[in-house]
Amino acid sequence: MEAWVVVFLVTLSYLFLSLLVGLFSGGRASDTAEGYVAGDRTLGTVVLYFIMGASIFSAFAFLGGPGWAYSRGGAAFYMLSYGTIGLIPWYFLAPRLSTLGRRFGYVTQAQFFSHRYRSRPLSALLAVVSLAGLLPYLTLQMQGAGYVFSVVTEGRIPVWGGAAIAYCVVLIYVFRSGVLGVAWTNTFQGLLMMGLAWGLGIYLPYKLYGGILPMFEALEQKVPEMLAAPGLTDSGSLWTWGGYSSAIGISAMGFSLWPHYFMKIFTARDIRTLKKTIVFYPTFQIFIVPILFIGFAGIIAFPNVQPADTILPHIVTSMNLPALAVGLFCAGALAASMSTGDAILHGAASILVKDFVRVVSPNFMSGSKETTLIRWLVIAIGAVAYYFAVISEWSLVYLLLLGYGAIAQLFPMLIASLTWRRSTPAGALAGLGTGCLITLIWNLYPQLQWQDIHPGIWGIVGNVLVLIIVSLVTRPMDAEHVSQFIEKE
Amino acid sequence: MRKSDWPCFPVKLSPKRRQIYRFLVGYFFLIFVGMIWPVYPLLSRIRPFVFGLPFSLFYLVVLLAATFVALLAVYMWESRNDEMD
Repeated sequence: MEAWVVVFLVTLSYLFLSLLVGLFSGGRASDTAEGYVAGDRTLGTVVLYFIMGASIFSAFAFLGGPGWAYSRGGAAFYMLSYGTIGLIPWYFLAPRLSTLGRRFGYVTQAQFFSHRYRSRPLSALLAVVSLAGLLPYLTLQMQGAGYVFSVVTEGRIPVWGGAAIAYCVVLIYVFRSGVLGVAWTNTFQGLLMMGLAWGLGIYLPYKLYGGILPMFEALEQKVPEMLAAPGLTDSGSLWTWGGYSSAIGISAMGFSLWPHYFMKIFTARDIRTLKKTIVFYPTFQIFIVPILFIGFAGIIAFPNVQPADTILPHIVTSMNLPALAVGLFCAGALAASMSTGDAILHGAASILVKDFVRVVSPNFMSGSKETTLIRWLVIAIGAVAYYFAVISEWSLVYLLLLGYGAIAQLFPMLIASLTWRRSTPAGALAGLGTGCLITLIWNLYPQLQWQDIHPGIWGIVGNVLVLIIVSLVTRPMDAEHVSQFIEKE
Repeated sequence: MRKSDWPCFPVKLSPKRRQIYRFLVGYFFLIFVGMIWPVYPLLSRIRPFVFGLPFSLFYLVVLLAATFVALLAVYMWESRNDEMD
C-alpha cells in the first residue's frame, strides 16, 4: 500500500472516532437551551480540563508555535508566559460568575454583563465584538485543517477538500450534541494532541541532534540571538522588549475573556470542579515546551522553509517517518484545529441567538425554538467561515489581531463588574467603546507606534480612564441590584 | 448584616482567607512582572543550561511550576478548611 494511503486511512479513522464520540455524548443533555449551551451545568473536572486545554490550543499553537520558534526564536517564549498567568484571574472570579450563572440562568458572557449593568445595548455590542473576533479565528482553524490534509497527502486532497471533510464532522457533532459533543470530543482530541506534542518534541531533538542539550548547544553556536527573549521579529531583526512584554500583557488579559471560553464557566458542575480545573491547567500549558522544541529542531536541520508556519508538517513529511506516524501527526493537527473550531462554532451560534436576537427582539421565539435556531446557525456560521477560508482573500491574521485587541478590552469591565460598586452602565459602555476605538486607530495608523507596544495596551489605558471618569460623573446604580454581585463594604 | 444584603455570597471571605487571597494576588503579580520588562531582560540568557534548556526557557518553566504549586496549595487549604464556596 502506498504511504499516503495509510496516512489517509489513519486520518479517516481519527475523524470517524471523533464523530462517534461526539454523536454519542449528546444524549444525556436536556433539549433546552441550557442543555444545549451549558450542558445542564453538569460537567466534571476531567472533561472541563480538556475543554479548557484543547479549545485554547488551536491550530495556531500547533502549527504557529513551532513556526514562531523556528523563525523568531525566543519571541515564541511569550506563548508560554501568557498562558501561565492568563487563567489566574479565574481562580478568584470564576466561582462568583458560576454562582451568579446558576442563580440568574446565564449561559453566555454577555448575559452576565448586560444583567450586571442592566443594559441591552451592551449585550448587542458584546455580541458584535464577539462575532468579529470569533469568525476570523474559526476561519484560521479551517485553513489549518485543510492545509494539513493537503501537505500529508502530497496535494492529492486540496485545501478546500480537507477543510470540508474535517468541518463536516465538526458540524455534525456540534449540531447534534451541543456543548456535550464539544466536551467529549475535546477530551479525546486533547489526549491525542498532548501525546503527539510530547512524542515529536522529544523525538525530533534526539533524532536530529542526539538530545535536547546538544540541540541547544548547536543553536548557541549558530544563532545565539534566538535562544533568549525577546528573539526576532518577522523580518529577522531583533524584537524589542516593549513589543515582547506588551504582547504578553494583552494576550494574558484577552486569554480568559474569549467568549466561547468564558461560557464554559457556566458548564461546571460546582465550584470545586471549576477550581480544580484552573489549578491543574498549568499541567496542560507545559506542553508548549515540546511544541517549541519542534520549531527549534528545524532551525539547523531544515533551513529556509517558507512560510515558517509549515515547519512542522515539513519536518514530518521529509524525515521518512513510518506512514502510521505521519497519519497520527495529521490526526493530532486536525484535533488541534477541530477542538478549537467546535467550541467557537458552538459559542458563536449561541451568542448570536442569546445575546443578539433575544435582546433585539425579546418575543421572537419560545425556548425550544431557540435551540433549533442555534443549531441551524451553527451550520450557517460554519458556511460563512468556510467561504472566507477557501475563497476570500482577506488577511485573516490581521483581522484576528484586531479581534484579540478588542476582546482584551473586556478585561477592565470584568474586574469593575465584580469589584467596583460605583461603576455604571454608561462607564462600562464608554470604556469598552473607547478601548476598541483606540485599538482600531492604532492598528490603522502604525506611525503612532512607540517602542513596538501592542495597540491594545493603549486601548486598555484609555478604557480604564474613561470607565472610571464616566462612572464617577453618572448616577450610581441601584444599591440593591449591585449587592447581588458585590457585597457591601 | 442581614443575609439578604449579599444574597450571592452567603459565605463572606473569612479574615484568614482574605489575607491568603491578598498574598496570592501579590505573588502572581510578581510572577507576571518576572516574565516581562524590566525583570526578565536580566535573566533571559542562554547559559547556564539547566536540564538541557537554555536558562531563559528554564526560568519560564520554573515560573509555571511556581504558579501551579501556589494554586494547588491554596486549593488544598480551602478544601481542608471547608472554605470552597
